[in-house]
Amino acid sequence: MTYILRRLGFYLLSAWVALTINFLLPRLMPGDPATALFARFRGQLAPEAMQALRETFGLTQAPLLTQYLTSLRHVLTGDLGISVAYFPSPVSTVIGTGLVWTVLLAGSAVAISFTIGTLLGLVAAWWRRGWVDTWLPSALVFLGSFPYFWLAMVALFVFGFTLGWFPLGHAYADDVVPAFSTAFVTDVVRHAALPVATMVLATLGGWLLSMRNTTIAVLGSDYVNLARAKGLSPARVALRYAARNALLPSVTGLGMALGFVLGGSLLTEIVFSYPGQGYLLVQAVRNQDYPLMQGIFLVITLAVLAANFLVDLAYLWLDPRIRESAT
Amino acid sequence: MSASGVATSSGIAVWWGAIRRDRKALAGSVILAIFLVIAIAGPWFVGDPTAPVGIPLQPPSADHWLGTTGQGQDVLAQLVVGTRVSLAIGFAVGFAVVLIGALVGVTAGYFGGRIDGFLSLLFNVFLVLPGLPLAIVIAAYLPSGPLTLGLVLTVTGWAWNARVLRSQTLSQRRRDFVAAAIVSGESSPRIIVREILPTMTSLMVAQMIGSTVYAIGAQVGLEFLGLGDVSGVTWGTNLYWAQNDSALLTGAWWTFAPTGLCVALVGFGLTMLNSGFDEITNPRLVLERAWRAHLIRRGRGATRSTPVVMDRG
Amino acid sequence: MAEPILSIRDFSVDYVTERGLVRAVDGVTLDVEPAEILGIAGESGSGKSTLAQALMRILPPPAVISGGQVLFEGRDLLALPEDDLREVRWKRIAMVFQSAMDALNPVTTVGEQIEETLHAHGAVSADAARARALELLEMVGIPSASIDAYAHQLSGGMRQRVCIAMALALHPSLLILDEPTTALDVIVEREILEQIRALQRRLGFAVMFITHDLARMLQFSDRVAIFYAARLVELAPADALRRAARHPYTQGLLRSFPSVHGGGTELQSIPGAPPSLETPPAGCRFHPRCGRVVDRCRTQNPAWRTLAPSHAAACHLAE
Ligand SMILES: Nc1ncnc2c1ncn2[C@@H]1O[C@H](COP(=O)(O)OP(=O)(O)OP(=O)(O)O)[C@@H](O)[C@H]1O
Ligand SMILES: [Mg+2]
Repeated sequence: MTYILRRLGFYLLSAWVALTINFLLPRLMPGDPATALFARFRGQLAPEAMQALRETFGLTQAPLLTQYLTSLRHVLTGDLGISVAYFPSPVSTVIGTGLVWTVLLAGSAVAISFTIGTLLGLVAAWWRRGWVDTWLPSALVFLGSFPYFWLAMVALFVFGFTLGWFPLGHAYADDVVPAFSTAFVTDVVRHAALPVATMVLATLGGWLLSMRNTTIAVLGSDYVNLARAKGLSPARVALRYAARNALLPSVTGLGMALGFVLGGSLLTEIVFSYPGQGYLLVQAVRNQDYPLMQGIFLVITLAVLAANFLVDLAYLWLDPRIRESAT
Repeated sequence: MSASGVATSSGIAVWWGAIRRDRKALAGSVILAIFLVIAIAGPWFVGDPTAPVGIPLQPPSADHWLGTTGQGQDVLAQLVVGTRVSLAIGFAVGFAVVLIGALVGVTAGYFGGRIDGFLSLLFNVFLVLPGLPLAIVIAAYLPSGPLTLGLVLTVTGWAWNARVLRSQTLSQRRRDFVAAAIVSGESSPRIIVREILPTMTSLMVAQMIGSTVYAIGAQVGLEFLGLGDVSGVTWGTNLYWAQNDSALLTGAWWTFAPTGLCVALVGFGLTMLNSGFDEITNPRLVLERAWRAHLIRRGRGATRSTPVVMDRG
Repeated sequence: MAEPILSIRDFSVDYVTERGLVRAVDGVTLDVEPAEILGIAGESGSGKSTLAQALMRILPPPAVISGGQVLFEGRDLLALPEDDLREVRWKRIAMVFQSAMDALNPVTTVGEQIEETLHAHGAVSADAARARALELLEMVGIPSASIDAYAHQLSGGMRQRVCIAMALALHPSLLILDEPTTALDVIVEREILEQIRALQRRLGFAVMFITHDLARMLQFSDRVAIFYAARLVELAPADALRRAARHPYTQGLLRSFPSVHGGGTELQSIPGAPPSLETPPAGCRFHPRCGRVVDRCRTQNPAWRTLAPSHAAACHLAE
């Protein structure tokens, strides 16, 4: 089995596990959130919406297996049920409105943080006991110890509320027309700057440390020693040998960290009233909107799995040892 | 022939050594000790954290050192009382995820074959599923409170430890004394408990510390979303109320700043403890330090080419 | 005799460990003549690789050079600044590492690793570098298609050949071979050594050939240096050593190799194990294992004595 197929199979399996968890949760859990919901919506809901809700909670007469297959079929056709908080919009529509913003926020935060952190880690390892190596790791680990959303609150308080340099929330200003125009893009960037910056600050230390430690290990390897013996320039030893090889474990770590960073991004969105999945999630939690919550879980999971697959492809491109077994 | 007694005590002894000899580890453990004292004894020294005791949203003053909340409660009292629950959940989860991680990881690594295949697949799937959203959907169906939080954080947090302990077990299994024990017909549980686990104590302590950092952070995040018991007093619910009362937009920084600082200090202290430990046990770092010290004693700096330190003076 | 190309004087190398310094090369004095093959033999752990890497100053931490002099083509390598060292490395002294298996960068092709060496030491066009790389690979018997291969695609023997080709890329005047044939089977090993010897005859570089296989060494080298526990104990032309080794350790070594002593007498290994370098024995380091030990050996470090023209040993009993 080739590498790509194996990874793809693994992600499909993971997706199936997520789907199954989603199906089982409402049926396994104690208590009865459904009854409360029905009481609240009696008379308001159209019969077919009521039926959809029932299905979500498994309150139908059909045997479990039939329910399971029905739910799988629904998900595969993009039907995630009806949102309670945004009644009567279907969950898929509600989620769709926020997806692009979450991807924008989390994606750019991860890309920026990974790039800068990895570079700094390389610098720290190459100039051991230098300025970067001595001060930055501890300082960034300290910053990374704050909850993301707390840093977001402080940033919003200082740079938005007190100094007024940045807008206080939302993805773009009310008076800007969403279009592919310079005005709109700059406005979006202005709104994203603070949330992205706080997430970058919170995650920078992790990338720095992991790159630093693997680079130190790689610098002790035989092939780096041979590179030195060959009289190659320090720049070439640092980049072609040390960095290039140390990057591999960092990229593996990137896949692993995606889900984690996304979680932090959801919380950051809430602070900035940023209209992504995190914001929707809070609405869902407050309104006990279980279909929406589960839909978000599912969509985010699929996004993380897809991103992981992209990381695998990048790894494939970076590591010839794996590339060979894949083709 | 069992190495257990020695290894267990040395696992702990190494930690002691780290705290005594390493600045980072010392700083970390001092921070931690302070918060433990606050968690245990603090609540007796402050008033009722939920009672309205003053005008809402008062900045810090002599009466209320850290000001008052949007409901006129004392921020300091909330902070101190919140420490207890938050740390308790954090440490309990830290312990639980390492325990489960050890059970799964060691079983997988020791028995290998199909058992390993299945368990590895299991923890790899849990590693790739995004933790916070999963925790949220589970927590939303359960009655809110510390138990629920502990449960969901455990469910979403054990996989990494299992993975690390599995590979550690694999390498331990190849060691001579384990092979000898297997040949001499000792039972598997006995070998695991007496020969393999003891060699991993200090790693497991490190994992417990790392997992506690995770648990405190994730717990605060979930409570901030309103998934905790919002009528209770913990660090996370303090932040939830601060956000709910629009602390930011009224400029009431004192309602959220101290709590976040405490979360960070505890996390930082634990991380420093871990990295201090790494510094004195990672052979590469230890030797490199000794090498630098030797060069400095001889009045030389470290160079990329093998340094020359002449004896003849 | 011409000026030696490499002249090592009283050279010492230490490893910093948690429990203090470990001296892995202790006061070694040794010359390498132009265009000769000097063999270096000694048990595992006697400091052979340490010597080789330290004189190029590429021994990684926690090693330090603690004394002596290394004169190479008239320049003191121990006093040379980084940039000048970089000039000497590979252009003048090249080396095939003991661990050729791990010595190649796993993420670039072997061709690129040869070409980058050419680029680092002079302006060559990309085409010329590639042509030269192909030529070198051909010289060590590697098919030209493998120029774009990665290390993991080659067998251990092929990797070792790539390392040898790479070492010859710049016509060094000294080639250090640190057990270049460990990963090879006997037939391939012989073939490669023959190849190196032929090249050496043709191009006239000097070779420092490190191994613990004394039989192979005696066949292959002009002169042989024997190491024991970080020290040089005997130095002699290969045939003189085979006929009349003077140090009891060398004699023991010779007796323990079947192909050397010709099968007449019984095969004998030296009793005991080499000493730890952390706590070496006082006096002569070989005395705990020596069959001819006298009182002096236990306390006094034997001086380096010239016993015949170009034959010297460090033993109280050698006259
Ligand atoms: N990093 C290190 N720290 C401490 N001691 C070391 C280190 N590296 C090597 N040594 C010691 O230095 C001595 C010489 O090692 P070296 O690798 O030079 O031996 P060698 O003669 O090349 O052996 P082999 O034939 O096995 O290659 C050994 O006794 C070894 O224990
Ligand atoms: Mg060696």
